[in-house]
Amino acid sequence: MNYIEKLRTSEDMVTPGMSACQGCCGELVLRRILQISGKNTIVCVPPGCMSGAGVVGWDYQTGMKIPVHIPLLTNTASFLSGVSQMYQRKGRGDVNMIAVAGDGATADGGFQSLSGAAERNEKMLYVCYDNEGYMNTGFQRSSTTTKGSRTSTTPIGEAINGKQQPSKYVALIMSMHALQYCATASPSHMQDMVAKVERGLAESKKGFAFIHVIAPCPTGWSFEPDMSIQIAKKAVASNMFPLWEKYNGNYYITVENKKPIPVKEFLQSMGKYKSLTDDDIAQIQKEADTKYETLKKLASE
Amino acid sequence: MSKRVHISPLANEGMYILDTASWRTERPVMNKEKCIECGLCLTYCPVNAIIFDENKYKITYNYCKGCGICAVECPKKAIDMVPEGGGK
Amino acid sequence: MKIKAMTGNTTAAIAASLCRPDLIAAYPITPQSSVAEYLSELVHSGELQTNYVTTESEHSVMSVIQGAACAGGRTFTATSGQGLALMYEPYFQMSTMRLPMVMAIVTREMISPCTVWSGQQDAMSVRDAGWLQVYVENNQEIMDMIIQGYMITEHEDVLIPINVCYDGFYLSHLVEGVDVPSQKEVDAFLPPVHFNHAILDPDNPMAVDSLTSGEVLTRYRKGHLEAMVKTLDVIEEVDKKFAKSFGRSYGGAIEEYKCDDADIVLVAIGGMTGTARDAVDMARDKGIKAGLIKLRFVRPFPTDRIANALKGKKAFAVVDRSVCFGWNAGPMYTEVRAALINGDDKYSHFSAIGGLGGADISIKHMTSVIEKLESVKSKPGQHDTLWLMKEF
Repeated sequence: MNYIEKLRTSEDMVTPGMSACQGCCGELVLRRILQISGKNTIVCVPPGCMSGAGVVGWDYQTGMKIPVHIPLLTNTASFLSGVSQMYQRKGRGDVNMIAVAGDGATADGGFQSLSGAAERNEKMLYVCYDNEGYMNTGFQRSSTTTKGSRTSTTPIGEAINGKQQPSKYVALIMSMHALQYCATASPSHMQDMVAKVERGLAESKKGFAFIHVIAPCPTGWSFEPDMSIQIAKKAVASNMFPLWEKYNGNYYITVENKKPIPVKEFLQSMGKYKSLTDDDIAQIQKEADTKYETLKKLASE
Repeated sequence: MSKRVHISPLANEGMYILDTASWRTERPVMNKEKCIECGLCLTYCPVNAIIFDENKYKITYNYCKGCGICAVECPKKAIDMVPEGGGK
Repeated sequence: MKIKAMTGNTTAAIAASLCRPDLIAAYPITPQSSVAEYLSELVHSGELQTNYVTTESEHSVMSVIQGAACAGGRTFTATSGQGLALMYEPYFQMSTMRLPMVMAIVTREMISPCTVWSGQQDAMSVRDAGWLQVYVENNQEIMDMIIQGYMITEHEDVLIPINVCYDGFYLSHLVEGVDVPSQKEVDAFLPPVHFNHAILDPDNPMAVDSLTSGEVLTRYRKGHLEAMVKTLDVIEEVDKKFAKSFGRSYGGAIEEYKCDDADIVLVAIGGMTGTARDAVDMARDKGIKAGLIKLRFVRPFPTDRIANALKGKKAFAVVDRSVCFGWNAGPMYTEVRAALINGDDKYSHFSAIGGLGGADISIKHMTSVIEKLESVKSKPGQHDTLWLMKEF
């Protein structure tokens, strides 16, 4: 069965009507992951766009067909460790343990518990949908926000122009844990993403699996909602978001970028980078090149 | 456990569903003559508004938010965004 | 019956292991660390079959436990001071999700100034986070209340987690003789864990902790407060059951000592109670009609029992090992006073504060409280807070 057949025959686990914005890649990623994992799943969605959009329910009504919990922003991986450990203890290691968390809950406040759970190699699949900021609360910067981005806490100003620091590359940091599986994925490369979620789920039965997914955000990044997939494609094509995975201790680049497009093409396709100078763009280009070179070195060893 | 006497905050009395169709200002309309049934529209629809039924891809409008991703991603340009006249 | 000489921390670890926990999570912190160490030894030697999770922080300790409880597991941990403070976020959520568990708080003073020593400021600071709290006097009571704790917390009318609070160093590192019940005896007393009111289970899917409107949230809070009130009865019931099985009773939420004919009453909490008992005996020898209330349960607060015990008395003082900022008094003093609002008695009363940051509360201190009570007992109203400390 190819990935399209899988997606068209698998049941949607999420409420059909949720208040994610038009063209939201977070919603797309959430639905796809849970379509692949199916009913035998427990999912944790910490505070962020997805939980804010109603997937953990409202009052007495739930937002999913599967058990769902909203942990704290800071403890998703450790909360799910406890659930996972109890299921192992009960002889129910077959149940998929999945976290779907934003970049704030992953790379900022939640990072300590995430790193702890990865170090303990807890059996779960942790997916970060990275929209590069606290989009649910009004587009504040996070540690994964790209340098030069306009956010509501790094506005464009006469004195200071957007975010001043480069983004934290959370996927590579996670891969340095002795975990079971680590990958990056993009909804634009759906076949690759589906394969990685499947592999991540299989590996999560043995230990900690982490997937970092880029989730372009039309509202926060300032582009038309119909361009979400195009933007994700450009992020991959420009090496702003290279696609790779690590398992059995080895790194693999899963989508080779023989002729990368200039990052400028990616950066200029949305409003959040509109105040970048040529120098800024040159620096971001350098960072993207370095990132890809590093990955290539890791993958060749 | 009877209704409304939950001890803990929990939700098990049906699904919380929003009327996201009402957000739409444009609706995607599929031109079946151009459609090659590749299924890319289904894979990219964030809402899962596109279904595969009787061997055909079809757009449903109960929850479609009208984002237009399907129209942009269709390799055959078989989907047009048409202004909403109101209703589902 | 098997009497063993052991520290409070060893006692807590053994008590927890006798209750057959499914999962223990722990992170070391002074003065709790040897609880975590001893439990590790039990697990690594194979004596205790539990999922033991050594996390990267107390925040994760409580989070892992919360996850296990959402899968129906019986859990245990212990912490102190700063660890409890770091844990506060999931700590509050544990109780408001109504997930039962027993957590020992090896009480420690809060920073600043920098300190690692005893004091009840940590536990007292979280007394409004929805947990049950019992403060114990000696190592035997640590053992007995951890076992009773599981019966109370998992009781269908309760389903609220419980803290068993014992004084850092004074009890945690003090060696006393403890009657250690056999596994068979504990098994006969404590039924296997069974609760599933909030469960993450693919066979019974629900959203646990959905986003909740104010009206519905208010309903949950009301239920939580009502369960707290019911817990007062459960405490007495479990105390009686325990006495029947093990021959030891603690009198429920409070214990009264020589209160019947007393004029003046000391109220003490935790390890200092033993000293207070001796001070009362010494005062009695001198013809002073002194009595003692050992305040055991702070949450739920035993309002009626306190009011009854103090009925007709002339004066009382509450000795706190922590402070209540803004009241110029100890926290339990303010609460004991609040419990008396419905009565007609005109008491003389004052707050006494001592034993902070590991300082001792000696017989001399307790005697000074009794002496002050004697001197003010015919002058109704509040008298100055008495600070139990050395003159510099």
